[in-house]
Amino acid sequence: MPDKIIQVKVFRFDPSTDKEPRYQTYPVPYESGMSAMTALDYIYQNLDGTLAYYDHAGCDLGICRRCLGRINGQAALFCQTRIKADVILEPAANTRVLKDLVVCKPADKDE
Amino acid sequence: MPIKTIRTDVLVAGGGGAGFRAAIAAREAGAKALLLSKGPLARCGASPMAGADFTLDGRSLHKLGFPGAPGDTEEKFFNDIVTQGYYLNNQKLVEQYIRNAPARLKELLDWGIKVVFSEERAIFTSGLSLMDALLRRARTAGVDLLEDAFLIDLLVEGGRIAGGLGLDIRTGELIHFQAKAVVMATGGWHKAFWPNTGMRDLSGEGIAMAHRAGADIGNLEFITFCCNVLLSPPVWRGSIATYITSLLSGGELTNSNGERFLEKFDPYVVEKGTSMEWNKGFVSFATMKEVREGKGTPNGGVYYGKGDIPWEAFEKKSIDIFPNWKYKAMDLTEMAETLKSGGRVEVGPAVEYFDGGIVVNENFETSVPGLYAAGECALGPFGSNRVCSAITEMLVQGADAGKKAGEYAGGMKEIPAGASAFQALREKAEAPLQRKEGLRPAPVRRRVQEMAHKSLSPIRNAEELLAFLGFLDRVSKEELPRLTTTSKIRVYNKEWIDALEFDNMIHLLQAAAQSALFRTESRGVHYREEYPYADNDQWLKESIVKFKGGVFQVEARPVTVTALTPPQGRVPFLEMMKKMMQSRSEIGGHH
Repeated sequence: MPDKIIQVKVFRFDPSTDKEPRYQTYPVPYESGMSAMTALDYIYQNLDGTLAYYDHAGCDLGICRRCLGRINGQAALFCQTRIKADVILEPAANTRVLKDLVVCKPADKDE
Repeated sequence: MPIKTIRTDVLVAGGGGAGFRAAIAAREAGAKALLLSKGPLARCGASPMAGADFTLDGRSLHKLGFPGAPGDTEEKFFNDIVTQGYYLNNQKLVEQYIRNAPARLKELLDWGIKVVFSEERAIFTSGLSLMDALLRRARTAGVDLLEDAFLIDLLVEGGRIAGGLGLDIRTGELIHFQAKAVVMATGGWHKAFWPNTGMRDLSGEGIAMAHRAGADIGNLEFITFCCNVLLSPPVWRGSIATYITSLLSGGELTNSNGERFLEKFDPYVVEKGTSMEWNKGFVSFATMKEVREGKGTPNGGVYYGKGDIPWEAFEKKSIDIFPNWKYKAMDLTEMAETLKSGGRVEVGPAVEYFDGGIVVNENFETSVPGLYAAGECALGPFGSNRVCSAITEMLVQGADAGKKAGEYAGGMKEIPAGASAFQALREKAEAPLQRKEGLRPAPVRRRVQEMAHKSLSPIRNAEELLAFLGFLDRVSKEELPRLTTTSKIRVYNKEWIDALEFDNMIHLLQAAAQSALFRTESRGVHYREEYPYADNDQWLKESIVKFKGGVFQVEARPVTVTALTPPQGRVPFLEMMKKMMQSRSEIGGHH
């Protein structure tokens, strides 16, 4: 049983349906040594299947850098950054969002 | 929605080393070549995360300007690979591996890979350096590259490859690929297991779709579990950093009672089985015995510490690979501090490499004209146990498969796929999006992954395999057809991708479990509790899985022998392992 629950506030935005971004907060069981990615995996698997974060080919080693985002406002790799308390997860750049935490590639930002 | 069509000569499915090398070779053979990379270019699949060791015979390595081992020969290297594979190797593919390895290494050096260090039969570079070199070369050669895209299924027309249906993951658009030849280079299917050591994209679609298209697959029961993989903390779960440390620096494994359980085994086997890459086979087996006897850790492993090795000596041997205890972008200083202070970390076996796969001949042709396979997704040269490098494998095979595919495409006219075949694939692919209600893929997948990790672990028995097959049958009949996506928007729809992948994972797990049940002996990385011996009279055979009318049929095929005659008789598992270790030539090194 988890000792505590943390509140993970996640940036949500689907440019095809949403006028503007919003935030959604999810309760996540805290596990010692968990990363931001551990929390996103928990949310996606157990709470909300609509959440998009770059996971389909993530490396979990910090080398593909596709999970680069902001944790409490600071740029960080979700897969390599530990979280210990309530946290805010946002994409690296709010202006180039493909969906939620997944950002556009430089080539497709104007599409 | 209209479907985008892309034409090419050779379509390469997979953006790891095998795929890149195949695309380069196809292009150099004069064909147009398009490579599909499921994730970021040169940063997805298993290749970039590899250590990465490239093995070849020591004399050739010496000729390339490294110390190597001048006394080595191709014959000695051949002997060692075949005995490490417990004679289950396709010896034609072993010959192809040995013959082509020097040229593949030479070109990598020409293309600018960085060598960290070398030993008798190997150079060690990094997966990143390797992939960067291949990407540069592919761009120079004029390979077309598509990122964040993957092949869902193949189109076969008149018995020949006509292309396939793919998905652009970012836009959610389906793509109709028209191609004269396809090289499958999709790697392993780590994602069917939890935990695993692979990147998140490896779901085995290439093997499964080749099987659906009529190609045979084989030796699926031989699944290498890397030993000493970190199981905790969650941020590092699945990392092989401790595996590398244990191989380079040594150390000590203990069970939950604090017993050094390797002491129960023959000291010779322990010495070879911990200091060489034999450890994947031996230590994973020994660890699973402890876990199954109830002496495992909370996460299903054992404990790893430095033992009585002085810290300075311990650290010195690993620090080339982990400068300042950094590995890729991982900061392992906390793990190092734990080990230094005499503490222990939780480690265990996790799925790492698939010895079996798509059946190919020595030209990397499958039984479907126009379909080729290379690298980990193919049934390769290693038999029942891989000790030598899969990096070498992906490159020697990729180069030949790509060349053959390029030459084949040059002599072929495009055959358009029938509209009805395409429509059927499209409907199947879109079904999870169309379903209004049903099951979300992720929770179903997690249950299957955990069950696969237990049931197809290095120690198996009929009871557990049958229970697993029953479970898979229920999932396949009752849950797979009901998978749906919560959101119907196609753009980066994770649930849609998961549903598409899940079908392939179930397919391969069923094939592997049936093959494991079929093989009533213990050999290499497959141990059956009821048959604790290598049966050289009955089982010097590959298990070939055919797929006809939606049904699996497992058959035995005699192993391909060219130079080294296999032994006879029944030999107890660990005794056979020891014999195979003792059969190795005198050339040193970790392989």
